[in-house]
Amino acid sequence: MEAKITVRDLYAGYGAVQVLHGLSMEVRSGETVALLGTNGNGKSTLMKCLIGDVRPTHGSITLEIDGRVVDLTKLRTHEAVELGISIVPEGRRLFPQLSVEENLLLGAYRKAARRNISKNLDFCYGAFPFLKERRRQLSGSMSGGQQQMLALARAIMSSPKILLVDEPSVGLAPIMVSQAISKIRELKDEFGLTVLMAEQNFQEALRIADRGYVLVHGKVAFSADSAVELQDSALISQLYLGG
Amino acid sequence: MSIDLLLEGLIFGVFVGCFYAAVSIGLSIAFGLLDVPHIAHASFLVLAAYMTFLLGSYGIDPLLAGLIILIPFFALGAVVYRFYYEAFEKRGTDAGVRGIAFFFGIAFIVQVILSLVFGLDQRSVAASYIGSSLGLGEMRIPWRLIVALLVAVGLVLALNLYLSRTFQGRAMRAVAQDPWALKAIGANPVMTKQWAFGLATAATAIGGALLIIVSPVEPSLDRVYIGRTFCVVVLAGLGSMSGTLIAGIMLGVIESLVLTAFGASWAPAVAFGLLLLVLGLRPQGLFGR
Repeated sequence: MEAKITVRDLYAGYGAVQVLHGLSMEVRSGETVALLGTNGNGKSTLMKCLIGDVRPTHGSITLEIDGRVVDLTKLRTHEAVELGISIVPEGRRLFPQLSVEENLLLGAYRKAARRNISKNLDFCYGAFPFLKERRRQLSGSMSGGQQQMLALARAIMSSPKILLVDEPSVGLAPIMVSQAISKIRELKDEFGLTVLMAEQNFQEALRIADRGYVLVHGKVAFSADSAVELQDSALISQLYLGG
Repeated sequence: MSIDLLLEGLIFGVFVGCFYAAVSIGLSIAFGLLDVPHIAHASFLVLAAYMTFLLGSYGIDPLLAGLIILIPFFALGAVVYRFYYEAFEKRGTDAGVRGIAFFFGIAFIVQVILSLVFGLDQRSVAASYIGSSLGLGEMRIPWRLIVALLVAVGLVLALNLYLSRTFQGRAMRAVAQDPWALKAIGANPVMTKQWAFGLATAATAIGGALLIIVSPVEPSLDRVYIGRTFCVVVLAGLGSMSGTLIAGIMLGVIESLVLTAFGASWAPAVAFGLLLLVLGLRPQGLFGR
């Protein structure tokens, strides 16, 4: 299953505020790529550009999927989802007044996912047994960690080829962060996904990443071809450890 | 008040209440699910009643007329929502207040057009089930109210199924909670709301046919129903279809008992009184989440 994203010289922002300043990166088929960097350096903006939620002012984003080549800067969000990109949004963005199961079923809204719906639902209940126990509960009444798992499961319901995960650790207790990150890896292996994960908690991100980028001021400041290389990077110590 | 009279009031109230639920169900979608301040709902009801009257003048049965106007009313709803979206909702935060002014304007225009075209006299339709009644022991239940009950139950069942079993229906329930998240799962929130508002208006078309089946209409009848329909929707808890049926029956029964005990002049105050009471004591409604 081919699925590759190539970003070239991307400039984007919100009105007068420019956030990305010539960012280039790529995510190759079957990889788990970590997008690292502290708050305000453009991780979420890049994610939003990838799903057509923010329009770049300059640069290109190319998606190669199933032998097709698509310009992602031209698509609207639901069109990008229709192609097989699924996002676990920052802050989870569940439908709080709907039940757990209704949230999952809505995850399968995209046409290609509807025929797999019972298979995917069984898979999600297998991967997250507590979701099955709570399937009739309103999703908004669960704990933050449980909601994060539901957001992951909902994204899987759309049978994606590419999974974008935006800040999965925000607001979670450390033990839940670990569990959520491990689950991303499990799901990736099970479904043969290509994963791009924006994360501030670089220790956790490195546990599952094949390689990564460090963003500073809207550009790639450091690009590492392996987790070890990221771990050893002087820039990482400087950014995170104040060293 | 004798027991017989009380019982009769109660039974009559249940039937009238089902009718109230049927005329409120469109608002339950538009206001309850979609958060659109649709105060022209009652005007659309009266408009549908007049369209039923118009088709009736060609000899078409009012229930059949209700089905015929479904599609034009669906289109009307879709167009009105689209305009509301482009002019108000899209621009953001105070869409609610401006939206009320917009829908108030529509309500006013509908009333003026109906007055000009049909005059101020009461209009009614003829059908075999209007004017006759079913004997039930000592009581006689008018057939038109039995028709209203059946239509109300049918509408609630059909909408409940649609909202819980179809992708479009589930998206309709999700869209007001988080439109951005709906985009992120691959749905188009604006198209979802447009479709839903069309459905709501189509349901209102059937409600309008019932309105003229149950009683004669005049162009200013919307004033009576605006209170009743909002009362039912708020009492139900926003967006609950079964709740709408139960809330409609409650309003019908309370109105009927007040009417029996204190006389007809008090009945119109019941809806607004109940509305204020619910907003004060239990703003999430009886079946709200």
